[in-house]
Amino acid sequence: MRSLGEKIFESIIKIISLFSVLLLVFIVVFIFKESLIFFNRVSIVDFIIGRKWNPLGAAEDLSIWPIILGTVYVSIVAILIAMPIGVGTAIVLSTYTSNRIKKAIRGGIDVLAGIPSVVYGFIGLLVVVKFLEINLSLAAGESVLAGGIVLSVMVLPFIISTCDESMEKIYEKYSQSSSALGVSKSYLIRNIILPESKRSILASMVLALGRGMGETMAVMMVIGNAPIMPKLLGKTQTIPSLITLEMGMAEVGSLHYHALFASGFVLMLILLGINALLYFIKSRINV
Amino acid sequence: MNEKTKSFLFKGWILLSTLIVLAIVFYIFGYILSNGIESINMEFLLDGPSGIPVGSQGGIFPAIVGSLLLMLISCVFASILAISTSIYLVFYCESERIKGLIHLITQCMSGVPSIILGLFGYTFLVLYLNLGRSVLAGGLTLGFMIYPFIQVRVEKTLLEVDKSIINSSYALGISRTYTLFKLILPICKSDIVSAITLAGGFAMGAASPIILTAAVTFAPIPSSLSSPVMALPFHLYILTGEGISLEKAYGTALVLILLLLIINIISTIINITRKEHK
Repeated sequence: MRSLGEKIFESIIKIISLFSVLLLVFIVVFIFKESLIFFNRVSIVDFIIGRKWNPLGAAEDLSIWPIILGTVYVSIVAILIAMPIGVGTAIVLSTYTSNRIKKAIRGGIDVLAGIPSVVYGFIGLLVVVKFLEINLSLAAGESVLAGGIVLSVMVLPFIISTCDESMEKIYEKYSQSSSALGVSKSYLIRNIILPESKRSILASMVLALGRGMGETMAVMMVIGNAPIMPKLLGKTQTIPSLITLEMGMAEVGSLHYHALFASGFVLMLILLGINALLYFIKSRINV
Repeated sequence: MNEKTKSFLFKGWILLSTLIVLAIVFYIFGYILSNGIESINMEFLLDGPSGIPVGSQGGIFPAIVGSLLLMLISCVFASILAISTSIYLVFYCESERIKGLIHLITQCMSGVPSIILGLFGYTFLVLYLNLGRSVLAGGLTLGFMIYPFIQVRVEKTLLEVDKSIINSSYALGISRTYTLFKLILPICKSDIVSAITLAGGFAMGAASPIILTAAVTFAPIPSSLSSPVMALPFHLYILTGEGISLEKAYGTALVLILLLLIINIISTIINITRKEHK
């Protein structure tokens, strides 16, 4: 027979679990509900493909195509920079290093992952933006490129740890037979390990894309925040930075306010799609 | 291209990328440390900000306290929810379908960017529930953010406990609650604490959830849960963004990074002592 205390504890655990799950669902529903008011005025398609963002204008003047492009553009630049570096480092970590060095480098990468994004933004503003201004003689160094460079450093730890993990397993699987056959390490990696870890590399890329698109502070501080069509060396705007900068100013209940919720909702949809893709790729990695 | 050149190019590529990563790590720390060390003194650490505009003189004491408070609230809130959910999933939930559903929801949640949580916190907590910009609203918003992080790790720890210990305990007729508190939680304690400290560091460095919900440019040390606070990441953002004082910004960045390092070291020590006991 179970005592009363036992039953009470079980109920408490159940209630708190139910509460936390409902809370998570509630957050998504809440964002959806607040943006629905806007989508009743403007269709979601017009909102996405329109090219004007004028918070003071009519409902039709609120649309986020350039901002979506900016969000994607910055992340893609970041991935293009970070992928080769990340995969290269993962190869060294999983195959070429002794245990002690591996631990030390991983420690350094963990520390890199732990640096707050606002510090990245700060360094990006003082170093990367200045560097671009001086070397490319731009009037303003705040640009897609600056955002991409800063973001690439931020997504490096994710890429490295995702690739490193599966490469290590694959290496363990093949290293003995390959050294028995007298195959050089570099040949083994290029012809067996890299092709075998294709899916993990893809997974790390998608993960980095998701992280990059949701990143706020670091990107916001170095991209100049102008809602125009993005160019590599021109200013741009991303959805997270748009929400952060304008939410405090938007009058509660106004069209502008609901439009910001709508852009948050669009971002959330994109990221849910990316996460679903990631889940799909990961489930097909069979190491 | 023959084999030799290929191999040479390949080795060059991987060596270069590792060097770049290491250089970035050292550069970031060297940069913050060498620029920030001069602004740090007792006055900077223990005084409030002053001067015109606010922050150009004085120190960051209220911001340090504010950040620690936000971290504490978010950790308490998130870990109560996360530990309960994990215990439920591992020991009480019998339906695979419910388990799958909860996992799916948690996974989706970890993909939601922090600014969306900030948006939710701002509208729901600050405006609808009338909490105002406050420590409580900010702490809860950060709590939403770190909930999935803690939940996933705690669940993993609980699953790693040897099943035979649990089964023997049940077979002896010992109740579930007693088994949980006297047997399982003591085994997992240090892992759980380490997960929470890591999540706390993550919460302390996050700026986007608190910009709309808690942080203000200047406030004294909060007297109650409903007063607004200063926080280190937000202070750093304001100092740089508004161009108030570069020197103070370097100092703030250094203090923030040092605090996070201390938190990380504490979490590592907890883990190491555990391994020695095993």
